[in-house]
Amino acid sequence: MADAYDIEAVRQKWVGFETALARGRYPVEHDPIRRHCHMVDDNNPLFIDPEYAKTTSHGAVLCPPSGWLALYFASLGPWPAAFEPLFPVVPTPGKRIVNMSQEVEWFARIKAGDHLSVKRRVADVFQKGISLDPEAVWITAEAEITNQRGELVCVIRNTLLTHRTPEEVAAAQPPGKGAPV
Amino acid sequence: MRRPQPYWEQVEVGQEMPGFELEITPRRVFLQVSGSQDWYPVHFDPAFANKSGHEELFMNTGFLQAALVRVITDWMGDDGFLRKLRFEMRRQQRPGDTMVCRAKVTAKHERDGEGWVELDVWAENEREGVTTPGQAVVILPRQAGRASATG
Repeated sequence: MADAYDIEAVRQKWVGFETALARGRYPVEHDPIRRHCHMVDDNNPLFIDPEYAKTTSHGAVLCPPSGWLALYFASLGPWPAAFEPLFPVVPTPGKRIVNMSQEVEWFARIKAGDHLSVKRRVADVFQKGISLDPEAVWITAEAEITNQRGELVCVIRNTLLTHRTPEEVAAAQPPGKGAPV
Repeated sequence: MRRPQPYWEQVEVGQEMPGFELEITPRRVFLQVSGSQDWYPVHFDPAFANKSGHEELFMNTGFLQAALVRVITDWMGDDGFLRKLRFEMRRQQRPGDTMVCRAKVTAKHERDGEGWVELDVWAENEREGVTTPGQAVVILPRQAGRASATG
């Protein structure tokens, strides 16, 4: 971005922006839960064994209480294999992303067969430099996830930063200034 | 076989969860992409990570969250409820690291008749120390409820 980035204009336009409620493409399914569990060797039978889960008070396999997995089921699903940043709509000087923190508040359990929806909101946008990029932009987004009965399941508050590559930072330096150390 | 179920009355402040260790091998990196469906290349493509200014690829939020959640759900039993979880990605878990995940009870109190337990939960490695500090709130069943449920 050659022109100066106007954080105040971006904040004015995007903070408070909300998406419409969007329904996940697929219901909550067993195999994505199984894959999610197995990436961290989680063999909890409540999450991966339907026969065991039937014998519990829940009566069915539960989705582990991971905000990441809830958002996955409430979103477009596993294909096409496109990374879906939480808020690609906010313009930023850099396109590289690092996720910084996440907070999830749970109100209900998710079971296999549920069908989730999500509504997202840009909660905050601010500029705070990091060693990689003095013009890094931080975005806090909130996601409200509901089930097929319209019950609020969880609220996710995620903060990520966007930054430029070292090459882009160096190229943006005014003439006579060296690359940042 | 039924998993052990802790009750709120049995929990003591200072109590530690056993946790677990995971080696960040190339296989684990692929499992991460499969399990999280996070296709952002900084988590599996070293060249992309280098060009972005990172020394090495690093494990993603979905993976770290799944690990922290596992520490808690391994402990809280089938009828525990994870009410809140907050965590920060302060440092990285990279290939070659052994990620250690642990948790510890920091407080317990009653709220509207429910048994709430507060935890510190974190991931660490030898290279960086604590990489991913977090806090959680779990609601555990009460022993009084156990009596009425079985009576």
